[in-house]
Amino acid sequence: MEPAAFDVREFARTAQGSLRDDLDLTRYAAAPLRGDVVRVLDALAVLEGATMAHLRNVLVTPTHKDARVTAFLVTWAYEKFWIADALRAIVAANGGAPRGWSGAASDAGTHRRAASAGRGPVRRALAGFAQGWPVIGVHMTVGLVDDWMLRAAYERVARASANDALDAVLRRILDVKERHTRFFQEEASRRLAASPKAAGLARRELARTVWPLGSTVLGRDDRDDLVRFVFGGSEGDVLAARLERDIADLPGLDRRAAASVLRGLAGGPAA
Amino acid sequence: MAFDIDRYTATSVSVHWDDLDLEDFRDHPLLAGALRTLRYMADVEYHTVCYTRDLLTTPSHREADVSAFMTMWNREEFWHGEALAAVLAMHDITVDYDALKASRLKLGWKDRLDPIKQSVLGSLVGSDFVAVHMTWGAANEWSAITAYQRMAELEEHPVLAELLRRIAKQEARHVAFYTSQARDRLAASTKAQKITRFALSRFWAPVGSSINSTDDVRHVMTHLMSGPEGRRAARKVDDSISGMPGLDGLTIVQDALDGLGIPA
Repeated sequence: MEPAAFDVREFARTAQGSLRDDLDLTRYAAAPLRGDVVRVLDALAVLEGATMAHLRNVLVTPTHKDARVTAFLVTWAYEKFWIADALRAIVAANGGAPRGWSGAASDAGTHRRAASAGRGPVRRALAGFAQGWPVIGVHMTVGLVDDWMLRAAYERVARASANDALDAVLRRILDVKERHTRFFQEEASRRLAASPKAAGLARRELARTVWPLGSTVLGRDDRDDLVRFVFGGSEGDVLAARLERDIADLPGLDRRAAASVLRGLAGGPAA
Repeated sequence: MAFDIDRYTATSVSVHWDDLDLEDFRDHPLLAGALRTLRYMADVEYHTVCYTRDLLTTPSHREADVSAFMTMWNREEFWHGEALAAVLAMHDITVDYDALKASRLKLGWKDRLDPIKQSVLGSLVGSDFVAVHMTWGAANEWSAITAYQRMAELEEHPVLAELLRRIAKQEARHVAFYTSQARDRLAASTKAQKITRFALSRFWAPVGSSINSTDDVRHVMTHLMSGPEGRRAARKVDDSISGMPGLDGLTIVQDALDGLGIPA
């Protein structure tokens, strides 16, 4: 396998905490965001904050043995926690009632089923036995594709809202997420290139993942609204084409694998 | 008193040691026995994310407060590992990701089955199982604080003592979270009390037992918890645990020391 260049210790040392001081929430009073933008930000807050459910799915497999990967994920979850916090604050400043936080009503059973995305820890742990080490490459690929999708979402929101205050925050958020993407991309590329088994498993996982990660918690309607907002229309087509190309360019993946992700985005899991 | 999760997340920081003179260890190094204990502690701290996994297989992860706490807790414990690794590095002992991976690999099948076992138990017992996890977490955090305090007392090394004091201070907030969760859940359900009592008295073992050899566990417990002072510290932890609703009379730490043959 290619040696890794990403410095996880440096990433952990320079983690971005709360973004609250830079939000400038008072500016929304004069220039409030559109209702559909607020709803998308609310959905993105839920997705960014869904790290613990995702960690569970990942850590019941051999991925938890890789101390470098888990060190990354600890800081990754921390940074995403504060991204979600920033998004919720913006939603609240624009008259919304952010979901997925203390006191938010949710049906426990539904949430649990949703968080497991159809496959609970037992099934994932058992599958992990058979998949072995290549499953790390699968998780890195899934993380990467999810990051690409959310980047598209932030870009779309920025263009649709044309709001300076929000623009500045979204740029900050994309900066924070850039390191996540870089780690996932390097890990996915070297692991997929080194192992045909990893690539095969990744193709399968991409096709059956409910995209974006954590979106089962949103409920079908909100998820569909989000996907339509980001990937709808001619601007959305451009972003979808970029996503498709990026996935197809990964070692061991191809246009078919990329198409399965887009099919999943359009109508739930393809497999 | 209820745990203020917003305050906790807003004030959660990685433990810092930039201002401490670690070079002092070059002139006044720790002895081999202490270094072995320190290495054990570093392993435990780095491993926190693996305990998270077990905690996450139970229904508790769906609660926003628990999720927020675990995000910060994981990161704080990771940095405790880094801090202890920095001290070990001054003694030319390297704890890098490869070394950690190697020790995780040694766990083998038991570790692989853990999430399955936990998950099955969790779904059989239902939400009362969360009480077990929270009480277990409280017991572990109390033990960790006690271990750091004992280490500081025994080694009488000012730089080490200050670093361990900072770490223990963060662990105290973890205790506050776990006890507030555990107390509420235990107080609300006699079934939770019974299950927790059963699980702790039957299965609890000193923190790190599942990831280290029995030799290492015995070394650390003898180093930190033997003799009258060690026993007094153990009793204090037991008193805290048995002070929780429905857990009176439990002496799991002292029992564990007896089981390992640690001299009182």
